[in-house]
Amino acid sequence: MSAKIKILERKGSSLYERLYLFEVFKGMAVTFRHFITNFLDNSKLLVRHYPEVKPEIPVRWRGRHRLTTHEDGTMKCVACYMCQTNCPAKCIMIEAGERTDGRSEKMPVRFDIDLLECIYCGYCVEACPMEAIRMDTGIYSVIGEERQPFVKGLDELLATKGAFTEEEYKKGGA
Amino acid sequence: MSQLDILLIILRVAFGAFVPLCFIAVLVWMERRGAGFIQDRSGPNRANIFGFRAGGLVQNLADAVKLVTKEDVIPGHVRHKFYFVLAPVILFVVSVLSFAAVPFADILVLDGKEYMMQAIPTDLGILWFLAIVGFAVYGIILAGWSSHNKYSMLGGLRSASQVISYEIPLALAIISVLIVYGTVNLTEIVQYQGQLLFGFIPMWGIVLQPLAGVIFIVAAFAEANRTPFDLVEGESELVGGFHTEYSSMKFGMFFMGEYVALFTSSAIIVTLFFGGFQIPWLSTETLVNNARPITVLIMLLLPALAYFFVKWINKNNKSHYARPDDPRVREAQVYTKVVWGLVIAIEIVLLVYLIAVSGGPADRILVTFLQILTFLVKTTLMCFVYVWVRWTLPRFRYDKLQKLGWEILIPLALLNIIVTAAVVVALS
Repeated sequence: MSAKIKILERKGSSLYERLYLFEVFKGMAVTFRHFITNFLDNSKLLVRHYPEVKPEIPVRWRGRHRLTTHEDGTMKCVACYMCQTNCPAKCIMIEAGERTDGRSEKMPVRFDIDLLECIYCGYCVEACPMEAIRMDTGIYSVIGEERQPFVKGLDELLATKGAFTEEEYKKGGA
Repeated sequence: MSQLDILLIILRVAFGAFVPLCFIAVLVWMERRGAGFIQDRSGPNRANIFGFRAGGLVQNLADAVKLVTKEDVIPGHVRHKFYFVLAPVILFVVSVLSFAAVPFADILVLDGKEYMMQAIPTDLGILWFLAIVGFAVYGIILAGWSSHNKYSMLGGLRSASQVISYEIPLALAIISVLIVYGTVNLTEIVQYQGQLLFGFIPMWGIVLQPLAGVIFIVAAFAEANRTPFDLVEGESELVGGFHTEYSSMKFGMFFMGEYVALFTSSAIIVTLFFGGFQIPWLSTETLVNNARPITVLIMLLLPALAYFFVKWINKNNKSHYARPDDPRVREAQVYTKVVWGLVIAIEIVLLVYLIAVSGGPADRILVTFLQILTFLVKTTLMCFVYVWVRWTLPRFRYDKLQKLGWEILIPLALLNIIVTAAVVVALS
C-alpha cells in the first residue's frame, strides 16, 4: 500500500492574490476582529495575570531539585557521582564521605547544585539509580540578589519537600 | 501687529510644536496596547501612580524616566562624534518641522483679518512637506555611517535607497492629486475637499483619486520606515539597524522622531485624501451659519457619548481574578467622576457661549475648535491604521521592496497622472 500523498495547491499565483492589496485587507480584517473583541471586553484576552494568578505546575514539570529520603529520614543518595557525570552543564558538585547510618558505604558530605549553571534538563534525575534526586518541587522561580544563594547545598536540597504525592509522581511517569 | 496677531502666532506655533510631541506619548501607547489587543494579550498595563494607570499611559512616563536616566554611551570606536550626536537631532527636528505647513483648521477670520491655521502660515503647503521630509534620511544615513558598524551602515544604506525609490511614487501621486486640486496650498486643498460630489458624497481626495491615495499611503509607509517597509531596522538581519550604537536619550530622539514622522505623515494623508479638518457634509460656512443648532446638538450628544465611555471603562477596568476590595474598581470610579466632571465643564462653557457670546467672532472660534478636533480625530485614526498594518503584515524582502517601488508603484503613478490630466482637460 502506497503512502497517502496530499498535493497542496501553491497559493499566491493568481492575479487576485498578486494584486496583494485585497489579501492585505483580508489580513487586516482578521487582526481588527481580534482587536475589537479585546478592546470592547478585555476579559477575553488570552493572558494569565501572572504574579497574582500562578500557573498550574504539572507533575512532570522540571522544577528546582531536591534530594529524597527514606522513610526513616536517612538520605537516599549514595554519592555514586552518576548525576555529576551526566550533568551537561556541570552544575553538580559532590564530595563523598563515609556512611554512618548503616544503609550502604558512601553518602555525600557535600552536594552543591549551582542553579545559575543548571539548565534544568533533568538528566540527573534520569541518571540517578536510587531515585535520590528529583525535580518535583514545583518551584519555578528562584530569585536572589547575589550569586551565592543560588548554590543550593545539601541541607537545603534535603529540606525541600516535593509538591506531589508519591502516587501522582509515579503516575506522571517521570 | 496687534496683540491678537501676536497671540495667534504664539498659539499656532505652540500647536504645531507641541501637538506632535504630545502625540508621541499617545502613539507609543496606542502601538503597544494595540499590538497587545491584536495579539490577544494585554500590553503594558501595570505601571501606575498611586494606583492610577490611565489605561497604560503611565508606562510612557516610566519609559521616559528610564531613557533619560540611562547612561549615555558614545562607543570608543566612533571617530566622528559630532555627526554621531547630530544624526538623531536632524531626524527629530525634521520630523517636527514637516508638520509646520499642515493646516489644522480653516482660515480664521477675526476683525476682517484672515489667519491661516498652520504653524507656519505659508502657501508652500505640500512643497514644504516634500522638501523637509526628504531631509530625514540624512539623519539615518549619518547615524549609520558615523556609528562605524557594519549593521548600522547597512541599515543606513537600505534607508537611503528605499527613500530614493519611494520618494518618486510619493511625489508622482501628489502630482496627480495637485492636477485635480489645482493648488499646492494645503488649506485650499482642504477647502476644495469640503465640496460635495453629485450633491451627497464628500469630495475627498480618496474619492476623486483612489489610486493616487493608495500609492501615496504605501509610499508614506515606506517614507516613515514603518512595517512592512522597515528594513532599515530589520532586527532579524541588522540587530537594530542604524540605531544599534545609540543609547539613552539619543536613542530616545530616534524613537520620538519616528513617531513624530508617523504623526506628520498621517496628518498629510488626512489632509490630502481624507478631507483634512472638514467635517463631512458640513463646510466651514455651514458650520458658522448654523453655530447655534450645532452647539445644541453637541450638548445633547456629549452626555450620550460619555455614558457609553464610562460604561466601557467600568466594564474593562477591573481585575479578572478574585481580589479583595479590587483597587481597579475604585480606580474606575474615579475615572467615571473625572469624565462626568469634564462633560459638565464643557457643557457649561457651551451654555455660556449660547447665552452670552453666540453670533459674531465667537462662532468662528467655536468652528475652529470643532475643526481642530475633527483633524486630530482623523489623524489619530490614520495613526491607528499605521499601527494596525504594522501588526498585520510581515516585512518585505529587500528586492521585493525595490520591485514594488520601481516596477509597480511608479508606472501606476505615471499612468494615473496621464489619465487624471486627460480627464481634467476633457472636463474643463
